Amino acid sequence: MSPIRIVKHSVRTMARFKLRTGFMMLGSMVGVAALTFVLSAGRAAERKTIETVSRMFGDSAILIEDGGGHFAGGPRGQGSRLKLDDLDAIARELPNVESWDPQQGLPGGSVRHGDVTERARVMGESERSEHVWGRKASRGEYFDAAAVKAADRVAVVGETVVRTLFKGEDPLGAEIRIGSVPFRVIGVLEPWGTDPHGMDRDNEVLVPITTLMRRVTNVDTIASAKLLLRNSNDAERTSTEIRRILRARHALAANEPDDFTIITPAEVRGMVAQVQKVLFLYLPLVAGVALVVGALVSAILMLVSVNARTGEIGLRRAVGAGIGDIRLQFLVESAATTIAGGALGIALGYAAARAAASRMHLGEVELITTLLFGIAASTAVGLLAGTIPAMRAARLHPVDALR
Amino acid sequence: MIELQHINKTYTRPTGEAVHALIDVSLRIQRGEFLAIAGASGSGKSTLMHIFGLLDSPDGGHYLLDGEDVSGLSVKQQARLRNRKVGFVFQSFHLLPRTSALENVELPLLYSDRGSTRGLGRKALEAVHLSDRIHHRPSELSGGQQQRVAIARALINEPDLLLADEPTGNLDRQSASEVMALFQALNKAGRTIVVVTHDSEVAAHCGRIARIEDGRIVSDQPVPQPKNLMEAAQ
Ligand SMILES: Nc1ncnc2c1ncn2[C@@H]1O[C@H](COP(=O)(O)OP(=O)(O)OP(=O)(O)O)[C@@H](O)[C@H]1O
Ligand SMILES: [Mg+2]
Repeated sequence: MSPIRIVKHSVRTMARFKLRTGFMMLGSMVGVAALTFVLSAGRAAERKTIETVSRMFGDSAILIEDGGGHFAGGPRGQGSRLKLDDLDAIARELPNVESWDPQQGLPGGSVRHGDVTERARVMGESERSEHVWGRKASRGEYFDAAAVKAADRVAVVGETVVRTLFKGEDPLGAEIRIGSVPFRVIGVLEPWGTDPHGMDRDNEVLVPITTLMRRVTNVDTIASAKLLLRNSNDAERTSTEIRRILRARHALAANEPDDFTIITPAEVRGMVAQVQKVLFLYLPLVAGVALVVGALVSAILMLVSVNARTGEIGLRRAVGAGIGDIRLQFLVESAATTIAGGALGIALGYAAARAAASRMHLGEVELITTLLFGIAASTAVGLLAGTIPAMRAARLHPVDALR
Repeated sequence: MIELQHINKTYTRPTGEAVHALIDVSLRIQRGEFLAIAGASGSGKSTLMHIFGLLDSPDGGHYLLDGEDVSGLSVKQQARLRNRKVGFVFQSFHLLPRTSALENVELPLLYSDRGSTRGLGRKALEAVHLSDRIHHRPSELSGGQQQRVAIARALINEPDLLLADEPTGNLDRQSASEVMALFQALNKAGRTIVVVTHDSEVAAHCGRIARIEDGRIVSDQPVPQPKNLMEAAQ
């Protein structure tokens, strides 16, 4: 009575019940594919989010945005109030601010070189941008303090711009026009990739913020600023101070809401946690439902099979099968079928996750993670689908089963 | 080799009503005998056979198999003993569909702890004259051929006891004779056989007939001159 022989025998029955096998495999495949897809794509998305967020904010930076409301696209307050002087004052008053960079920009500015025109994100920044955002020029150079002070018409461009606008020609020293204003390209930004909003951060042109404000956008307010802190443990206190300074400078009465938004490292961590919750709680929950439905379908098909095969079960008992042998047989039958379906599901889930990751620029999907999740999910389906039918088959009295 | 002593078996209907399927049945079968258990429908024949075959346990009395009391064995021990010592043949064949004759015949080996089993299936099919149907599925065989496959399956573990419940019940006359001829040949070769039947024509081929009515053995006599199908065939 070797269990190995019974296992082999049971696996062979998969071919005896082609229709049942097919539908059970399908049920398990869909569930496993959904779960592996969500989990592996989720892992990639999480990695990408954390990587991007830490690259953008680090853990010792505060972001100030013009307008009240919230970072994640809430309503903005009326009228832009945030000015370069506000930031100067903050930096002067708060010793914890190590450096800061103001930003003002045109999300889809038209940029021309010769007779080629492209849309790019045109950003006005200070000379400290290189340090504050940790992004250097890979060729040529960044604009310096003098250029910002004098509002020089110089620009640093991203690699995408080099590709689309210059078609591979050397951009250094060349002239581009932002709107109708001519700028001289003095540097090329090191590559960055896409940000969490899916925006290509290499399709970017950086110019001195003073130049942008005076000659292109013609405003005297800034959109946002990033402040680097000396001591990140003091971030909350610094943020309170910033709020106090800005409210005083903007002459806000006690009952008026902030006309700016401060994003602290704690809030950034909260956002990441929120993303993780969606990726690893809500989405898997939905996929889990697909898995459970697949398992239930398989379990029902298996139960139908047990009912249709009572005679066979009685006969097996008559020729010497024990209760355990019957249980093992039906467990293996359903497990082999659902695990085979699960294997297809893993392949499908992995392919889908890779496709999604590449569309959303999430980087690589780890095969090993997919395999682990997929095998765990298939096993769960197999056990769910197999246990009850197997117990039912084993409980039958041989004489009743043979009738 | 088989002895039943004062066996009782009572079923309870779902309505709560008790059915006395076997009442104080005592019976002794010697090695090499060919016994028919005859009786009307519902008289308790199958119940008796299930107890012979260790598929069911009596409520009272003793069952001695080869001198050993097997009435109190566990379900697991019964299963092992069934596999080694008993071969069953049923009215409705109970062959696995979509499974070759050979695989059907070899099914009991799956649950046996015999060492080498190579070639046993072919040998058993040869013994029932089906060497040329080894890879046929049940749906590709006649009723008589299917029952012979079932007999080969019952014989594969060389059981001491062959039990058949209405083995000819689903067969035409010709196939029924073939099956009875096969039983006679097996019995002649020394196999102990018990055939359950309500058909006196079938019983007339056996060496002894025990008649059962309403759960009691009412007569038990040798057949003076069993009809011999093997001679008739020659
Ligand atoms: N599981 C059961 N529950 C209740 N009553 C049962 C059960 N099994 C058998 N019986 C009853 O026990 C009696 C004997 O049944 P058994 O099957 O042994 O008869 P039989 O002689 O084989 O009949 P047949 O020739 O129709 O096969 C019958 O009255 C039957 O209804
Ligand atoms: Mg019967």
